[in-house]
Amino acid sequence: MASVMPKSPRSVRLAAAALCAGFGALLVRAVLAIPEDHPGLAPVVAERIAESGVEHAVTAVLLNFRSYDTLLEIAVLVLATIGVLSIAGSHSSVWAPVAEEADPVLSALARLLAPFMVLASGYLLWAGEHAPGGAFQAGSVLGAAGVLLALSGYARPAWVSRFGLRVVISVGLIVFLAIAVGVMFLGGALLEYPDGYAKALVLIVETWLTVSIGAILVSLFIASASPIEELRARAGDGR
Amino acid sequence: MAEALLAHMPALAVVVPLVAAPIAFLAGARWGRPVALVASALSVPVAFALAWLVSAEGEKLRYQIGGWEAPLGIGLVVDGLSATMLLVTAVVGFAVTVYSLGYFADKERYRFFWALWLFLLASMAALFLSADVFNLYVCLELVSVSAVALVGLSGQRDALVAAMRYMLAAILGSIFYLLGVALLYGAFGVLDLAHLAAVLGPDVTGQAAFALITVGLVLKTALFPAHFWLPPAHANAPSPVSAVLSALVVKGSFYILLRLWTDVGDPSYVPGMGTLLGVLGAMAIVWGSVQALLQERLKMLVAYSTVAQIGYLFLLFPLVEIAGSHVVDAWSAGVFHAVSHALAKSAMFLAAGAVLSRFGHDRIDGLGGLSRRAPVTTMAFGLSGITMMGLPPSGGFVVKWLYITAAIESGAWWWAIVVLAGGLLAAGYVARVVVPGFAKARDDASDLDVDAGRLPRRMEFAALALALAALALGVLGQPVLDLMAVGSPASGVIPWTGQ
Repeated sequence: MASVMPKSPRSVRLAAAALCAGFGALLVRAVLAIPEDHPGLAPVVAERIAESGVEHAVTAVLLNFRSYDTLLEIAVLVLATIGVLSIAGSHSSVWAPVAEEADPVLSALARLLAPFMVLASGYLLWAGEHAPGGAFQAGSVLGAAGVLLALSGYARPAWVSRFGLRVVISVGLIVFLAIAVGVMFLGGALLEYPDGYAKALVLIVETWLTVSIGAILVSLFIASASPIEELRARAGDGR
Repeated sequence: MAEALLAHMPALAVVVPLVAAPIAFLAGARWGRPVALVASALSVPVAFALAWLVSAEGEKLRYQIGGWEAPLGIGLVVDGLSATMLLVTAVVGFAVTVYSLGYFADKERYRFFWALWLFLLASMAALFLSADVFNLYVCLELVSVSAVALVGLSGQRDALVAAMRYMLAAILGSIFYLLGVALLYGAFGVLDLAHLAAVLGPDVTGQAAFALITVGLVLKTALFPAHFWLPPAHANAPSPVSAVLSALVVKGSFYILLRLWTDVGDPSYVPGMGTLLGVLGAMAIVWGSVQALLQERLKMLVAYSTVAQIGYLFLLFPLVEIAGSHVVDAWSAGVFHAVSHALAKSAMFLAAGAVLSRFGHDRIDGLGGLSRRAPVTTMAFGLSGITMMGLPPSGGFVVKWLYITAAIESGAWWWAIVVLAGGLLAAGYVARVVVPGFAKARDDASDLDVDAGRLPRRMEFAALALALAALALGVLGQPVLDLMAVGSPASGVIPWTGQ
């Protein structure tokens, strides 16, 4: 099988354009037919939000009503990281400084900014309870701080071992799973928070999710930044 | 205590491998192996318990996650169909785990295999149990990400290229699916399958959503002509991975199609869709089989055989629409095919992988006299070939019998011709391997290193066990047919509307 795509002839490209146009027309037709005043599940969420332990509807849906989706989504993130580590080959490339020689000004600036980014991340995490925010946003800011440090020539701190890195990547999923299964021993279903504990449990889950999401984003960035030549050399292909 | 445990069984089917996956990741190269073995072994009794529960109850079971009722919360649903698919997943999953313990002897290099593998098993279980169209999307993503990572596991150039192509196809499929889900939610305001079934009306948005979802899932199931990504991905993956991709992963997206077109709606919801899927299925059978006849490498032959066998799954849709009183036959044939093909194809890939591992090549013209060098593996390949051909007493025979009955009884005899022709073509490509394999090796026809070391026994016997299970389905088919019919739209418990 040819691995290089041949350039398509004009007729094929025209056919593709016609197909896309038809598809676009179908989509427009389908979207226009959607009833405009359909409330969906919003009224049901509004009715039950008092039982969810949080005040913000998005957080209530993500961390309580449909927490199972979120559990599987954090599993997707951990899984994707394992996949990238597996294909990128070695742990050693993870969290090595991406830039060999960093600009001293950039380096100093990153050092100055990083603590504030951690603080902002903590704020977003806390705000998620009653306003837009939460673990995914907080984790992104944490991850951005890590990427910034890596770009400014800071290596993985010595105290973060290979095993330690694996722990940080998976701790959010593990805590979430522990709580999901743990509440079953109190007589509930999977992920059924006991009365009065929902708020505390949601906060615990979100905190550890933030840590893991930050670590995952940094790991994904750095592992996929490993030189493509190295991948090619390993694959036994000189080109 | 026992009752409480039984009540949580649907959740346990997902949780057992899902908890084991990050543990295997933390445990590293050496301890990931026992973690995976224990988790996949535990999944077998859990799946049997669910099958028993559903049979005893005689109807669908529901489990509400978080204690929130649908449509607010997400439910797990266990009926005969999900219990059957879970059972196959658990059995094939366990056999492949045992095989992998021998296959991945280089512990350090493949240290991430076990975590990826457990994530795949967990996501298959979650997919077969989910009662929510958006949750199914998340499950599909888990399945695709783990499958792509497993295809690229070896890091070889061909494997990476195949993994990349597979990923692009899988992502495109996911986007189509998600677009469809968004339209469904926009039009009907619910995501739970049962609620959706209750409010589904002849609505243009709903029909567009069904069409989009079908396009996405056809791409993920590799139905002709969207099969282009499958042969390189399945042939270049490590062999235990090839086995599971062909046996289970493509069935995951087919399962969602089956749910949507026979449980939520029915094939007449979008006029012509049932026939279209059936015609593509028929073309897949012919095209895949002919390609299998032309391949030079054993794993490519087996991969093209999967392209052909996927076609049989899709004959279900036109036949369910027209079969009238024989709708049960048509529906059961498709589901039974998913089961028997899962067992036979995993056996075939494991056998092919054993040949490749031991002799260092899988060129078909160099496999003369294979049975003398590797009798158990050749036997496993031959027995699974019987199911591919659909000869009695195999599971494949039951499938063909049911399909042909449904086709003849509904007057659509041409579908019966496709089924029979597919069997003949399968006989052709299986014979390409088996006939020289059992012949006395001439020097020029055999390229099997006499000094090649023996394989770990568990590899050969895992393949044989699966092939025997596929064969046994032909004799012990009735209990499986009874199980899959529980709570199904075709069981007669819920009257088939067929509007």
